[in-house]
Amino acid sequence: MKQEVLVDARWLEPPEPMEKVLAALDLLRPGQHIRFLLHREPFPLYGMLENMGYAHRTHMLADGCYEILIEPRVRA
Amino acid sequence: MSRHGLAYEQAPPFGVPLLFMLVAPAFLFAAGVLAMLPHWTADLLAPRTVALTHLLTLGFLGLVMLGALTQMLPVVGGVPVPGAVWVGRIAWAGLTLGTPLLAWGMDAMHTGALRLAGGWIALTLCPYLAAGALALARARSIDTVRGMRLAVAALPVVVLLGLGLVAWLRGDWQPADPLRWLERHAIAGLAGWIGMLVMATAWQVVPMLQVTPPYPPRLTRALAWGLGVSLAWALLAPSPWQRIGHAGIGVGLVAFALVTLDVLRRRRRKTPDVTLDYWRVAMICLIAACLLFLTGGPHTPRLLAGVLFLLGFAVSVTHGMLGKIVPFLAWFHLQSRRNGRGAGLPTMKDFLPDGAARRQFRLHVASLACLSGAPFLPALAMPGGALLAASAFVLALNLVRAARLYRSHGGGF
Repeated sequence: MKQEVLVDARWLEPPEPMEKVLAALDLLRPGQHIRFLLHREPFPLYGMLENMGYAHRTHMLADGCYEILIEPRVRA
Repeated sequence: MSRHGLAYEQAPPFGVPLLFMLVAPAFLFAAGVLAMLPHWTADLLAPRTVALTHLLTLGFLGLVMLGALTQMLPVVGGVPVPGAVWVGRIAWAGLTLGTPLLAWGMDAMHTGALRLAGGWIALTLCPYLAAGALALARARSIDTVRGMRLAVAALPVVVLLGLGLVAWLRGDWQPADPLRWLERHAIAGLAGWIGMLVMATAWQVVPMLQVTPPYPPRLTRALAWGLGVSLAWALLAPSPWQRIGHAGIGVGLVAFALVTLDVLRRRRRKTPDVTLDYWRVAMICLIAACLLFLTGGPHTPRLLAGVLFLLGFAVSVTHGMLGKIVPFLAWFHLQSRRNGRGAGLPTMKDFLPDGAARRQFRLHVASLACLSGAPFLPALAMPGGALLAASAFVLALNLVRAARLYRSHGGGF
């Protein structure tokens, strides 16, 4: 089983990127994380991830696109 | 709140902007019915022309813009509008009740109705303007917010000048040159409020919703400052500075239109999209309107410039924005209510199917073509007005369909 699920939603029209990443989250298995690629920073997604119990880390790539790593939040 | 992004959780319930947007097409419909009578084609300042103008500017555009701002301000500025639900409802009541009375007062030249409607609209806009100004003062300073500040600052100027003109019509005030005041009222309203707000909004929504490259930051900075300074000069007494102000407004708006056409051409996804067509029509009409305004001339080109600016530019952009923003917000609010577990929810295309959106666009463009020709051939007023009313009716049907679908999936207002 792959540990990383890639969701490449660069240059798709809203809300397709969010639809794709939410569908991927539904299928996420224990131990897996999502690598989400997008042409803009997906601010509306962050509140949803928080409410759904996921943590995220965002990096800007050299070409100006964004990479968002999403994984289940570890309970303290 | 995010540092520099879109803070949706700060936005008011979907019902707040939707209330404005559902009622707005009634004013576009009324403008279409009034435009069927050819009296407005004779003169820019004929009572019917002025009434028609206000049905479009205050009724249709005003409602959509004030409604959209309640959602846009928190989203792009990162701060909520204080009391958005209540100040929104008061402003909504102000425009919904005041605009028909104002338009009737203008058409019938009934100065009592004008004073009552003008006072009511001014009073009911005060809480909204105060709340909007407070939110804008607290918002992070990006070019879109700077542009919105200018637009919101222009609105009270428009209202005060409008109240002054009502006082002049009633004989309570005798300015030396009332037409100069009328010109200032029009410039502050068309360039300051409508032009600036559309421009500032476009800098955010065009790259986001049309998937284009961003506007060049140096251009948006120059336009935000340049248009503000030009507007201030244009409102001065007749002088070389005032003429420079007029030229600055025209050049700034043309530059915005040309760059918008360029970023739309360079969009990443080349699939057909009716909202893109609205933007293209709008920008071409804006360029034509500005060129007619800058070159001046007798009444007929000025009337054509007005039709191109209001119907061709502002109403086209509004159709285009509603076609994207309403389905997107409906979809997003449903997703948020289900915490992102929205399997089985309608897609954006379900909220506004392509066929319905395309019908609305064809009617709008046909009405624009007829009404642009009406100043030269008044017989075109009848079909143009009927087509405009039909486009408003189809817009209303499309918005009601989206609202019903939203509600049927558990969406709240």
